[in-house]
Amino acid sequence: MSGLSPLVSDVLIAAAGAFATLAVVVLYRVARGPTMQDRVIAVNVIGSNTVVIIALLAAAFDEPGFLDVALIYALLNFLMSIAISKFTVERGEII
Amino acid sequence: MTPTDIAVIALSVAGIFFAIVAAVGVLRLPDLYTRAHAASKSDTLGAVLSLGAAALAFGAGVPTVKTVLLLVFMFLTNPTAAHAIARAAEDQDIEPWTTDEEGDA
Amino acid sequence: MTTGPSGRILVPIGESVTLRKTVAYAVREARECAEAGEAATVHFVYPITGRVADPEEFDDPESLLDRVEVWAREDLGDEDGSAEVRIETAVRASDVYLFSPIDYARTLIDYAAENDLDRVIVDPEYTPAGSAPMVQPLEYELSRSDLTIEEAPVERKTRRARLVRGSDLAQFATVFGASYLFYLVIGGFAGTFDYVTGAFSAAVTAALLSQISLSEAPDSRTPLRALRALVYAPYLLWEIAKANVTIAYVVLHPRLPIDPGMVEFKAAVWDDVPVTTLANSITLTPGTLTVDVRKRRFYVHTLTTSAREDLLDGGLERAVRFVFYGRQATNIESPAERRADEEVTEE
Repeated sequence: MSGLSPLVSDVLIAAAGAFATLAVVVLYRVARGPTMQDRVIAVNVIGSNTVVIIALLAAAFDEPGFLDVALIYALLNFLMSIAISKFTVERGEII
Repeated sequence: MTPTDIAVIALSVAGIFFAIVAAVGVLRLPDLYTRAHAASKSDTLGAVLSLGAAALAFGAGVPTVKTVLLLVFMFLTNPTAAHAIARAAEDQDIEPWTTDEEGDA
Repeated sequence: MTTGPSGRILVPIGESVTLRKTVAYAVREARECAEAGEAATVHFVYPITGRVADPEEFDDPESLLDRVEVWAREDLGDEDGSAEVRIETAVRASDVYLFSPIDYARTLIDYAAENDLDRVIVDPEYTPAGSAPMVQPLEYELSRSDLTIEEAPVERKTRRARLVRGSDLAQFATVFGASYLFYLVIGGFAGTFDYVTGAFSAAVTAALLSQISLSEAPDSRTPLRALRALVYAPYLLWEIAKANVTIAYVVLHPRLPIDPGMVEFKAAVWDDVPVTTLANSITLTPGTLTVDVRKRRFYVHTLTTSAREDLLDGGLERAVRFVFYGRQATNIESPAERRADEEVTEE
């Protein structure tokens, strides 16, 4: 199964590192705002970066079990955006 | 290096590039709606390319199918989430930034 | 040739829940006549009321008729417009205030006389004057002329909940199949235990959610649509890739050359699934973000001028119509052209 050359798995780990760095950079927008929606967008970006990081690490270390974590995280990330958008609106009809 | 290795590396690099575009967009663009553009599209493309790299690296099998599922899922949910947020903002009467009124960038 | 029903048919058109089925019935009848060697034409006529309809609530006559024509051509399988059944659409009586069933009947009778039609097919849910019941008095008035009157034998949507319908079963089966497959893929097809628990979970999911997740049962058009969606997917991917490069250029450019703005337009797609598909495709294509959709009116935030032009050129909209209504429907004008038309008529 693990036919990955060391170079490829290094590249995947490096990519995961890059995504992590970008997530930290985007934290600036979460802190800065200025509106609630800006923060939600930024958190959403961080969330999808996290999903990608988990999937990349799953591939790099050949741990298919991580993918289940990634799937659940993707579901929660989507749900978070929808829930916050819904509850910041008084009328409560977003979808 | 096999062709698959090259494809994995190319996809990862392209994915990182678009993720950088998304992050820069979220930081640089002037208002919520324009940031939602960067978040929903460049970020989705970056994620999808990287997940494609992961799927290729797994080779054939159940993990690949799972990764592809994840990819399709991200592809469908990210724009929907961005749309929901933008609509919430519009509902709260947040005005879109235009080139006419400079200063609040 | 006087035996059997006539193929020269008039159908009054208005918003109604059974409109789609009425159109299908009329077209089927006309086609049978055409196959028997008679001249067959179907005229879809929209009698306008003097009443000012709420534009958000009702479709304007032209777009409703466009939609009816697309449906009719789809039923005929008519790709190039040269089938044996002629389809005509018309808006009637725009200068007369229509009030009673008598007015409507007179309008329709006049139209039938002018166009040599002798058979009227009425949609049982046809209520042109708002919510007042109209079909019975209208049929009575029409029957005093020498036209043949007929109510389309379509199934009315009942508001009563019945326990089991055929379409419910199809919906249940679809959701069950999809959930079961998903469960097994996630579980990795691992043994009898998974097959049993998977079947149980999928059954619970389907029982709870089949009515919510699918608004209508898959029908005979679904496979064809899926096939056309396969053609659409690469086109969409190409559009996404192309436009993403543009956005990357704009975002990374030192002077940030953006010109954001809201665009509002009325899309020529109908029904929930095509509208959702178009809205999501617009969001995925960089430079455009669907902010809100009310009925068919799209509010789209655009990042650059070129994105705005591409959107109004309507390439995506045409592609979505191709997926859901077939090749014939790609001939409708682009949003920019329709908008220009509206401005001309408003002047």
